[in-house]
Amino acid sequence: MLLAIDTSAGTSTALFDGQTLLSAIEYDDPFGHAENIGNAIAEVLHRANQTAKAVTAVAIGRGPAPYTGLRVGMAAGTSFATALGLPMYSVMNLDAVALSLGEAKIVVSSDAKRRELFVAAYELGERVFGPAVLKPEELEQFADFESVDGKCNAELIGRYAIWALERGIDLSDSSALYLRSPDVAPSAGKRVSS
Amino acid sequence: MEFLELSKEHLTSVMDLEQRLFPQDAWSAVSMAGELSASHTFYLGIFAPELIGYAGLATVAGSFSSDIQTIGIASDKRGNGLGRQLMQRLIAKAKELGSEQVMLEVRADNAVAIALYKDLGFEQIDIRKRYYQPAGIDALIMRLPIRQPIVLGIESTCDETGVGIVQGNRLLANSLHSSMDEHSKYGGVVPEVAARAHLEAIRPTLEKALGEAKLTMQDIDAIAVANGPGLAGALMVGIGAAKGLALAHNKPLYAVNHLVGHVGADVLERGAVELPTIALLVSGGHTSLLLVRHLLNDVELLGETIDDAAGEAFDKVARVLGLPYPGGPQIDKLAADGTASIRFPRGLTLPKDMEKHRYDFSFSGLKTAVARHVEKAQDAGEDFSKADVAASFREAVVDVLLTKAINACKDFGVNRLLLGGGVVANARLREEAQKRCSENGIELRIPRFQLCTDNGAMIAALGSQLVMAGRAPSSLSFGSESTLEVTQVQTL
Repeated sequence: MLLAIDTSAGTSTALFDGQTLLSAIEYDDPFGHAENIGNAIAEVLHRANQTAKAVTAVAIGRGPAPYTGLRVGMAAGTSFATALGLPMYSVMNLDAVALSLGEAKIVVSSDAKRRELFVAAYELGERVFGPAVLKPEELEQFADFESVDGKCNAELIGRYAIWALERGIDLSDSSALYLRSPDVAPSAGKRVSS
Repeated sequence: MEFLELSKEHLTSVMDLEQRLFPQDAWSAVSMAGELSASHTFYLGIFAPELIGYAGLATVAGSFSSDIQTIGIASDKRGNGLGRQLMQRLIAKAKELGSEQVMLEVRADNAVAIALYKDLGFEQIDIRKRYYQPAGIDALIMRLPIRQPIVLGIESTCDETGVGIVQGNRLLANSLHSSMDEHSKYGGVVPEVAARAHLEAIRPTLEKALGEAKLTMQDIDAIAVANGPGLAGALMVGIGAAKGLALAHNKPLYAVNHLVGHVGADVLERGAVELPTIALLVSGGHTSLLLVRHLLNDVELLGETIDDAAGEAFDKVARVLGLPYPGGPQIDKLAADGTASIRFPRGLTLPKDMEKHRYDFSFSGLKTAVARHVEKAQDAGEDFSKADVAASFREAVVDVLLTKAINACKDFGVNRLLLGGGVVANARLREEAQKRCSENGIELRIPRFQLCTDNGAMIAALGSQLVMAGRAPSSLSFGSESTLEVTQVQTL
């Protein structure tokens, strides 16, 4: 049984038995990740009438997405998998959204804050661009692509993981997909006297 | 009928009953008074409404063991299970204090008492021949083992990822990953850098702690996590990890206060924290003066910094002097070759400030004064001693910290001072604290350095106190509380 966790937008969890979705939980609150992650995991198990012992693998969304929230789900998935000695699969969020749309020629973008977007483009089921951070006007280069909202959730993460594992795609890199450096510059130090 | 904790005020009625119960070998009023007022004892009386029974427990700090000192029920009140109730309450207290066993001795001819103790789980482990004189009756030594909870604690409030494991008050593991080096080029902790480091460190730190303790997750009875005060993004990683862990094995989860954790760390050194105590917590993020009357129920914030934390001041002054981050150890090293000859200002110590900010701190003005001093000398092309500046700055920080802490001890009549936080690594602070405390008859306690800096063990220790006291776990819905008040020991 696969437990999928994603906090790239809201806080969501999904439980799969093979290909079958047993239950899914989604809290929309874009800030309440730390508050909601526990209940999201507990409820998704409860609704499917399962316990943590039944879970045999964990899938998490590794971004790109606003990192403060994203890390909550990644941390929870990591510790859950570590505690039970389970394999953990990390999925690129935009890939998960694209897979759900088949082989269309699409550009998938999600809010990267600071008036920027996380962007990836796909053709015939292959990623042909990204993931990258772009300004909205830079999307013009994808004029002939259908533009798709990249909002993701745990169900999409789980479906991608199941699909990718069947094809032997490596999902073992569990680091967050940071597309920006921490937004700081070393301070030179200022004079205090004039 | 009422169970009440006994104190010196009850001496007369306790002695009256004592002499009736043990006409041949009653304790003297002097030793009983000592027992009732000692900080390591817990005496409980039954009132109906006069005293009809009492019992006492002694727990020597750091021994992980409690002793039943005495127990007695008025002869006309026996056979009603009162002795059992007293014993159960003393055992509960021993559990709460972190004891791993309760010991007692009993007259070999007291079949009723022996049967009661056996029923409560005590086993005879030894015998002392002719212990009770003048009758020459043997004493049986009996022992009740207590299995204390194993608690895993997660700390991620700032730049240290900590996972600690304790059993009761016993330290089993304290694994730490610091992102300090990654912050050094920025001259201070960068929240996003810290949060990224926590996520990467959580798995290896957890595995290392379990390895150190030679335990698996199945052995853990409860999880504790610091949910504030601290950096929100950093806290959220620890909280996410804690919830994932708790749910994986269906363990109770306790959200605890990081600052109170610094005080709680002391239980790992000497068993239950002796209270009340003044606590001075000094780090890169905090400078707080607390009055702790009870670790779980009564922690009062007397004062804190109104601008920079003391550790932050060390970092900033280090930069002024061209020294790398973190500044504390650098300044300490440099100051060793200097003399504190420059009188830098002591923040919030003027009479007008002392009215409003008696226990508050301010280090921003001090930092500026140091910077001005250095700039003036540099502008004039004068040769100046960096070592003297470092020593003088350090002296100003140490002086104001300890003046206010000792004031608090005197004002509240509390003769204990506990130090915590990373700045405690400062040799001069420790030395001066020792000097001023002995001058003022104050007992100084400084946990070992690994328990003073941010660490997971102190979070586990505070969680363990909550479990031992029978507190309900937190809900699954708590979040990060960047500015969590020190009065809130647990977030439910």
